Amino acid sequence: MGVLFSLLQTMAVFLVVAYIYSKSPWFKPLTNENLSTRDKVYLYFFFSAISMMGTYLGLPVHDALANTRAIGPVLAGIIGGPILGISVGFTGGLHRYFFGGFTAFSCGLSTTTEGLIGGLVHLYLFRHNRLDQTFRPMVAFFTTMFAEIVQMAIILAVSRPFADALALVKVIAFPMIVTSSAGAALFMSIIRDQRNTYDKAAATFSAKAFEIAERTLSILGKGFNRETALDIANIIHEETGVAAVAITDADQVLAFVGDGSDHHRPDTPISSPLTWQAISENKVIFADGIRDQYTCSLSPKCQLNSVLIVPLTIDNDVIGAIKLYESRTKRFLNMNISLGEGIARLLSNQLLLSRYEEQKNLLVMAELKLVQAQVNPHFLFNSLNTIISIIRQDSDRAKDLLIHLSNFFRKNLKRTNELSTLEEELARVNSYLEIEKARFEDRLIVEIDTEPSLLNLRVPTFTLQPLVENAIKHGISNMLGQGIAKIRAYRQDGFAIIEIEDNAGTFNEKKSDHGLGIEIVDKRIRFLMGSGSGTSITCVPNEMTRVTIRMPMEASRI
Amino acid sequence: MMRALIVDDEVHAREELQVLLEETREFHIVGNCANAFEALKAIKRERPEVLFLDIQMPILSGFELLSMIDEDVMPIVVFVTAYDEYAVKAFEENALDYLLKPLEKQRLAKTVHKLKRMLGEGTRPAYEGPEIKRIPCVSSNRIKLIDTSDVEYVRSDIAGVYVVCSYGEFYTELTLKVLEARANLIRCHKQYLANIDRVDEIILHENLLADMQMKSGRSIPVSRRYLKKIKTQLGL
Repeated sequence: MGVLFSLLQTMAVFLVVAYIYSKSPWFKPLTNENLSTRDKVYLYFFFSAISMMGTYLGLPVHDALANTRAIGPVLAGIIGGPILGISVGFTGGLHRYFFGGFTAFSCGLSTTTEGLIGGLVHLYLFRHNRLDQTFRPMVAFFTTMFAEIVQMAIILAVSRPFADALALVKVIAFPMIVTSSAGAALFMSIIRDQRNTYDKAAATFSAKAFEIAERTLSILGKGFNRETALDIANIIHEETGVAAVAITDADQVLAFVGDGSDHHRPDTPISSPLTWQAISENKVIFADGIRDQYTCSLSPKCQLNSVLIVPLTIDNDVIGAIKLYESRTKRFLNMNISLGEGIARLLSNQLLLSRYEEQKNLLVMAELKLVQAQVNPHFLFNSLNTIISIIRQDSDRAKDLLIHLSNFFRKNLKRTNELSTLEEELARVNSYLEIEKARFEDRLIVEIDTEPSLLNLRVPTFTLQPLVENAIKHGISNMLGQGIAKIRAYRQDGFAIIEIEDNAGTFNEKKSDHGLGIEIVDKRIRFLMGSGSGTSITCVPNEMTRVTIRMPMEASRI
Repeated sequence: MMRALIVDDEVHAREELQVLLEETREFHIVGNCANAFEALKAIKRERPEVLFLDIQMPILSGFELLSMIDEDVMPIVVFVTAYDEYAVKAFEENALDYLLKPLEKQRLAKTVHKLKRMLGEGTRPAYEGPEIKRIPCVSSNRIKLIDTSDVEYVRSDIAGVYVVCSYGEFYTELTLKVLEARANLIRCHKQYLANIDRVDEIILHENLLADMQMKSGRSIPVSRRYLKKIKTQLGL
């Protein structure tokens, strides 16, 4: 009984060591899912030290030592596999051997064997894909118990004289088996708890999440397609370190990066039933590779066996999925599960936003089309009437005017690019102005003053036309006296300024037909030319109305 | 020959119409006007039988002009317009004739026929016009539009018709008759129209005459003939 209590005291020392260890930086290797050689070397030294300490703290009993040396090698074996187990066991055993005594050899041998037993347990768990059981205290308990029983057997089998060996075993067997097993289990539980803490900390490791967020958001602004999907998959792969990343739309793979990219090809239909399920049910699916297996349906050689599938949604419509894979040799990190879900949510929001932007743009385009279509019949018939009259007096001029008229319509009806140069815009407006000048004759004077260097300025197509039309239709045509329309373009403080001015001063915010053209122009400029751009209106009643367009120079260069 | 006046703000439109009208040899063109103000004067002066009238014109549209012409001098009106589906609908409802730009000779010939018939029958044209909300006035070479709500009263004398409001007195081509019919002003005297909203009090005299005291302090005469009507209107 005395031996049991003494051993329990020793065990308490072990637990203190284990606790301190778990709080030290040296614990770090144990938080890695996959132990590198370097990690294993660290663990070798640590567990060997634990094992030797067991020997030092042992109680002399019958020219032998009742001890808890077994904890080191068994735990090393369970955690790091047979090689680590045997190495620690051998080291601890050798150390014990030099202490001498009639059990020196048998103890040395049995310690090595105990390391091996731990290693075999590790192998067993690995083969059965149950490596998550590694850190379970119960596993450590029973493994150690079994190892200590084996040790007793070895002592009995190897140590001579047998009678002394038997007497020794009778005294130490029970205390050693109980203390070592309990010690190993408690030791393991300390390790496990600390690992969980680490894993949780990692799961909320926001720096990484932010990094991914920042890098992916700007990409998705360009839309959701093969190119952007590939860029995003690369970033996720790089940042999370998972074996592979795939991004799909609702029915095919858009991008695949990482292990297995030889047979997981973009532009192929989604083959995994799990992905189909995630998409059709709009839910996150996680196959941890242990209870739920991911089985690649494309290649039997595929190493990927765990997967996280997160649907990408816009307004609850699933438009695709992000998949993170891990290979057989790795456990799927909690951190990566939360990261994966977080990224997908983030991207979904971003998609919603860009869809909204896109729709807004479409809306603006539609309105523009409307304005184009509205090339107002009043203008057309009045122009024709004017030209018919001019034919009588000056057929050459009438001919020119007809050409201007056809140019005007051709340009208005043509499908155009979003942006034109100021020069193109002026040419477009010129035809219109020539006809209006003929209609109003000396009632209309047009003054155009643009800095030559600004002729290459990029402006949204159909910026000038509606504004100049407004100036004449709602301004000058309502004047009894002479109307003057001015178009100016100049630079000011890094901005390009375009002004359209008339001397009628009839702008009326309440009259919607007046404002519609300006509103669309304004929306398009803000949308296409970015921040700082837009239009403003100055009106001095009965004197002038001026629409001013501001665009940042850098946005307006070709 | 029918005496015709052309009103259109576009010079080439006037020229073209004049050429086409002259080609029919049925018209004597008494004038060309570029806006409603010129037209009001010309109508008074020339007493045309037919008015070819554009709709979209500066400041006052063809419709507004129509409601400002005194029925005594009201010509038969033919609207000439490029395109205005609402306007076209309005003509049809009002049984007004209209021509569409660019003008067609055949279509014009029909109109000529109709005009001759109407003038032959001696039809007195009467058109429904919109309410006059702004009265075109002349003040030292400027055209001024005075909101009827600003008007205190309107008076006429040998020199013409004057609109009186807080900021002055302005000459207008419109007659009292037109203003009485189309603007929200009431007749109180042969030579006066008053804005009832601007009346402060009515001072009754013994001989059934009265004076209307305006809020501005000015006063205008009320004749026996109109007193009763005014009283009823004021709820007295």
